[in-house]
Amino acid sequence: MNKLDTLDVLSRKILRGKLQGQRRSKRRGQSIEFADHRPYVVGDDLRFVDWNIYARLEQLFLKLFIEEQDLTVHVAIDVSGSVNYGQPDKAVFIKKIAAALSYISLVNNNRLTLTTFRQDVVSQLKYMRGRNYLSQMADLLLDAECEGVTDFENVCKQLVASQVGTGIMIVISDFMFKEGYEEAMKRLFGRGYDVYAIQALSPQEVDPELKGDLKLVDIEDADTAEVTISGALLKYYKKNLSAYCNELKDFCTRQGGHYVLAKSSDSVEHLVLNYLRRIRLLS
Amino acid sequence: MNWLTPLTAIYAAAIAVPLFLLLYFLKLKRQEDVVPCTLLWKRAVQDLQVNAPFQRLRRNILLLIQLLMLLAILAALAGPVLALQSMKTQRYVLLIDNSASMNATDIKPSRLEHAKEQATVFVESLTDASFFSLKRQPPQVMVITINDTAKVVCNFTSNKTQLTEAIERIKPGDGGTQLGQGLALARAYCQTPDVESNNRTAEQAAKLLLFSDGGIQDTQSLKIADNELAYHAVGTGTDNVAITAMKARRSFENAEQVNIFALLTNYSDAPVTTELELSINGDLKTVKSLTVPARSDNPTSGEKQNGQVSIDFDISSLEDGVIQLRQTRSDLLAADDTAWAVLSAPRDIKAMLVTDGNRVLESALKACRSVKLFRCSRQEFSQMDAASMALAKPYDMVILDNHDGAAVPRGCYLVFGKPPEGIGVEAAEKGENQIVVDYRGKHPILNYVNLDNLFVSQYHKMTLPREAELLAEFDQTPAIGLVQRSQSTYILVGFDVMETNWPFEPGFVMFVYNAVSFLGEQAGLAEKSELAVAEPVTLQGFQAGTEATLNGGDYANEKIIATEGGKLHLPVMERVGLYRLEMPETSRTFAVNMLNASESDIRPQTQLELTGETVTAGDAEIKRFNLPIWPYIVGAVLLLVCVEWFVYNSKIRL
Repeated sequence: MNKLDTLDVLSRKILRGKLQGQRRSKRRGQSIEFADHRPYVVGDDLRFVDWNIYARLEQLFLKLFIEEQDLTVHVAIDVSGSVNYGQPDKAVFIKKIAAALSYISLVNNNRLTLTTFRQDVVSQLKYMRGRNYLSQMADLLLDAECEGVTDFENVCKQLVASQVGTGIMIVISDFMFKEGYEEAMKRLFGRGYDVYAIQALSPQEVDPELKGDLKLVDIEDADTAEVTISGALLKYYKKNLSAYCNELKDFCTRQGGHYVLAKSSDSVEHLVLNYLRRIRLLS
Repeated sequence: MNWLTPLTAIYAAAIAVPLFLLLYFLKLKRQEDVVPCTLLWKRAVQDLQVNAPFQRLRRNILLLIQLLMLLAILAALAGPVLALQSMKTQRYVLLIDNSASMNATDIKPSRLEHAKEQATVFVESLTDASFFSLKRQPPQVMVITINDTAKVVCNFTSNKTQLTEAIERIKPGDGGTQLGQGLALARAYCQTPDVESNNRTAEQAAKLLLFSDGGIQDTQSLKIADNELAYHAVGTGTDNVAITAMKARRSFENAEQVNIFALLTNYSDAPVTTELELSINGDLKTVKSLTVPARSDNPTSGEKQNGQVSIDFDISSLEDGVIQLRQTRSDLLAADDTAWAVLSAPRDIKAMLVTDGNRVLESALKACRSVKLFRCSRQEFSQMDAASMALAKPYDMVILDNHDGAAVPRGCYLVFGKPPEGIGVEAAEKGENQIVVDYRGKHPILNYVNLDNLFVSQYHKMTLPREAELLAEFDQTPAIGLVQRSQSTYILVGFDVMETNWPFEPGFVMFVYNAVSFLGEQAGLAEKSELAVAEPVTLQGFQAGTEATLNGGDYANEKIIATEGGKLHLPVMERVGLYRLEMPETSRTFAVNMLNASESDIRPQTQLELTGETVTAGDAEIKRFNLPIWPYIVGAVLLLVCVEWFVYNSKIRL
């Protein structure tokens, strides 16, 4: 916790907030950090005229300042059946990451919205700010049951519609959506979020330890696939998995977002303290 | 429905069926396993299937194994054989020699067993009627054994089991080797259409295969076509010392004294020292050590000659019994190492001389020691009851001096003068002044008898029946004849002794002695007890249904029952040795001896000199040919199944 205390959520975009906060915002406003000059037009507040320039050039210029705003951090986690798998459990892992990031946000007075979703948004805590909300945040995470099927597109529609303001959107999921993730993600990017996609996979998914003739049952929709495990099949599986992950990464990068692949066997601490920092999600 | 090889199928089923079930269950039962998302798996399977045709073929060992299995099954269906010999001939006759020389043990266990093995190999190598093939019928084989006689062991058939069983049943014998009968039999069967071949006649001549060591005694009288006979020589060794002759007989002077004569022959190339044991009734009497010279070149003819030594024993007093001579050195052929003689107790011959006074004849008869002579006149003889003479046989023989041609009852007769009526001999006319033109000096009756100087002043012109034996003849008519009919024997001398110069010749006494001995044998005094191998024996004078038991050789307590005519036919005695026939009141011993010089010569012949053609022995060994491979392929398939199962389960990563 102490280590987390030192962190703060960082957005590489300069986004607009609702309350004055500690973030730089696109809006020029009242602050002490100088941004630019512009010529005076009628109606401008004379308080911002730079009189020193007027003395030098006898022309009216306004001094523009960067307004500091608070940051909206949006953490959305997948609580469908598919995350409830693996050794160590992906669900626990995802919740831990979410908790860590939420904690950082709350401690640093960011506006935090925490969402759990599967087919729809399951529960949502909006606009939390400050340490007071920690217990509420923790309850939400602890109470979340991981089951059922996902409909990511529908979820994204709802997220966008909930108008929680732009900011950082951190989506933590395994991103194994049969109907695809592109359309859904595009909605998020289109809304102007600074999207971080954290893909959590269990070691069993990355390197399956299956043998023999199997009937594989999908944990979410009970779909089955009959396979005979062979060297070749495993090779194809791994090839497909890495291709899938790379596609997701490329997609995010292309859209201006970020992508993180996390294995549930990794330590959450390491991930949060080092890795997210390195990609400058945290500072 | 019959099963040829049910055990094979059961064994195969016992292995294959559980294995198959095991595989079946292992293969079908897919374990369920939960994964977070089947998306990637499905894609992987798709990829695998997309790339399957070539990539899997190259890498999937399972597919390779299955492919191999399939190929193997197909290959098995094609019916592959090793060392294929195209069977152009459709019919074969196997002539298997089971004569005495085939018992030689130079090839273990014996030559005959080896020949049987080879014949079996040949039979087993014949092509089968394939179930899948629409081709012609399989070749047919016939099996004949040859020794002194030929015997069909198995008629033409393509049933291999039947053939191998028939070959297995062939028993060794101690007879000679006569190929002629076998050839005749084979040819006769080849020409008859048989049931199994749908009454088609043999369009092709059958091929004859002879398995023998070549000691064939009738090669000179045989004729064969080109390539008709293939000869497989059996045997390698020559080491054999045999008793090739043995005779025991009572001395002329003293009936108690027995002379035993034997001839030992050595067939090997080295001189041999051996011992000859003489036992009487099983008790060893004497042993003589002797050296038989080696087979060597005959100095006059240049031909090879076997070494021979003759030996004789004298035994002073012997009532009756079995004399056994045994050569003690062990050699390749055992049957000719022992010979037996059966002596019966000496008995006087009761002879009736019917004469009106002939001192010459009387003194000649008296010279025969074993003869007990009775005398009567012709008048008295004609008054005797003919019926009781024929039945009771008070005399063993009757000597008729200067007979007048009257009919006589059944019995044994030496007739001087006109032959009696009713025996098929005609003697109506008389002739004068003749000398003997020709005579058979080798006949036992004329043994040591010289008739060259015989002059006859008066004689009866006899016409002998066809079956009669002519012993001596004048210019145009018989002088002395032998007639045997309806259990009677007549020695007919067609003149009166007193009308000739014969009494002055020493041959006369010899003739009378020989005639008396011969008639004595005919009268059953010296019953024939020494037999050659497989010589038929028929005993007479039994009541119908009389039961007798034969022991010895191949027979143990063999029951023989007398026929309606009171005859006792003994079964064929094919092995040498002593045979004992137990009859209700008496018993008799027969000695079957080999005493066959050519059969004791076990030197294998690589060439058969037939008339006009020489047959050379073919391959020493018949190799197994037409060996079907499909059982091995099926075995390999089974093995592949196991390998596949193993590979499949151990998830070998390629």
